[in-house]
Amino acid sequence: MHGEYKIPGGKLIVVDLNIIDGTLRNVVLSGDFFLEPAEALEWMAAAIEGLPVNTPVDTIATRVRTAAAHAELIGITPEGVAEAVRRAIQGGTP
Amino acid sequence: MSIPSSSPWRAYDWQLIRSEPIHPVMHMALDEALLEEVAAGRRKPTLRIWEWAASAVVIGRFQSLRNEVDLESAQRYQVQVVRRITGGGAMFIEPGNTITYSIYAPVELVAGMSMVDSYAFCDRWVLDALASLGVEAWYQPINDITSAAGKIGGAAQTRRNGAVLHHVTMAYDIDNARMLEILRIGREKLSDKGIASAAKRVDPLRRQTGLPREAIIERMIETFRAQYGLTESAITPEEWKAAERLVETKFGTEAWLRAIP
Repeated sequence: MHGEYKIPGGKLIVVDLNIIDGTLRNVVLSGDFFLEPAEALEWMAAAIEGLPVNTPVDTIATRVRTAAAHAELIGITPEGVAEAVRRAIQGGTP
Repeated sequence: MSIPSSSPWRAYDWQLIRSEPIHPVMHMALDEALLEEVAAGRRKPTLRIWEWAASAVVIGRFQSLRNEVDLESAQRYQVQVVRRITGGGAMFIEPGNTITYSIYAPVELVAGMSMVDSYAFCDRWVLDALASLGVEAWYQPINDITSAAGKIGGAAQTRRNGAVLHHVTMAYDIDNARMLEILRIGREKLSDKGIASAAKRVDPLRRQTGLPREAIIERMIETFRAQYGLTESAITPEEWKAAERLVETKFGTEAWLRAIP
């Protein structure tokens, strides 16, 4: 499943994932944002991997924020990542 | 936005690299190799002016290959697809249509600045050069160089081991139809400003200046030299070998290109 969210005035965050047995699997984040260090992309994806499909958006954002605590996000926010996840779960970008 | 005076630049003996046209994948590797050399203190801070040996799509470090590129179209038009080490968006490059440069410097150059401020700081000399050619350009955060008539270019940065890489591609001319055949530009990307980065109303420098591409590059170099000083330099055989190794082990591999499939 595929979701996209463009941060107003910022960058695009794209989420691809599968829902298996009610949990989020194979989470891949991408987009035209900047991130230091680059490894933080995997840290954020790992923070989403395995979450129940009904996890509140706020909780997803908090987990992403914690995972990226030692990273610098330029053009995206943890809330934006969570919104893209929500859109992916709901069946993709309208 | 507060930007310190240009004095931090003057702390360095800036080197200029201009070379023959180089293949896109080797350009990607040279950026990493030269960044490492500056980080290690083996190379002085450097401005490198690129010449492209082939057309290319350069995707950002964090972009999904299939989301950004129509690979069949790219192959049909013999456009090489490469992934760079900096974030940001996909660019469609045609050798005569593009002005590209890299700055490799110690991070002290941008000490105390936010990432967003450091983008504008690293390109102030370019805005001055363009102004001297009658093009009033400015920075549109985060990373766009733009003008009243349209977008001119985009920048990207990354930092490692105490060094910063800042590279920029500006449109000298543009084949919009070809670009739109090769780059995929989704609707969501268009949502907050009506048009995507790659397709933003671009007003290339050729139309804005009426000058040959080479004349614009010469003015950029003159401006940098006048403001910060500039010494002629060249890619050393060791740097070239390091970049060739990086092509073999990283930039030329499917694993890197498809790091995000």
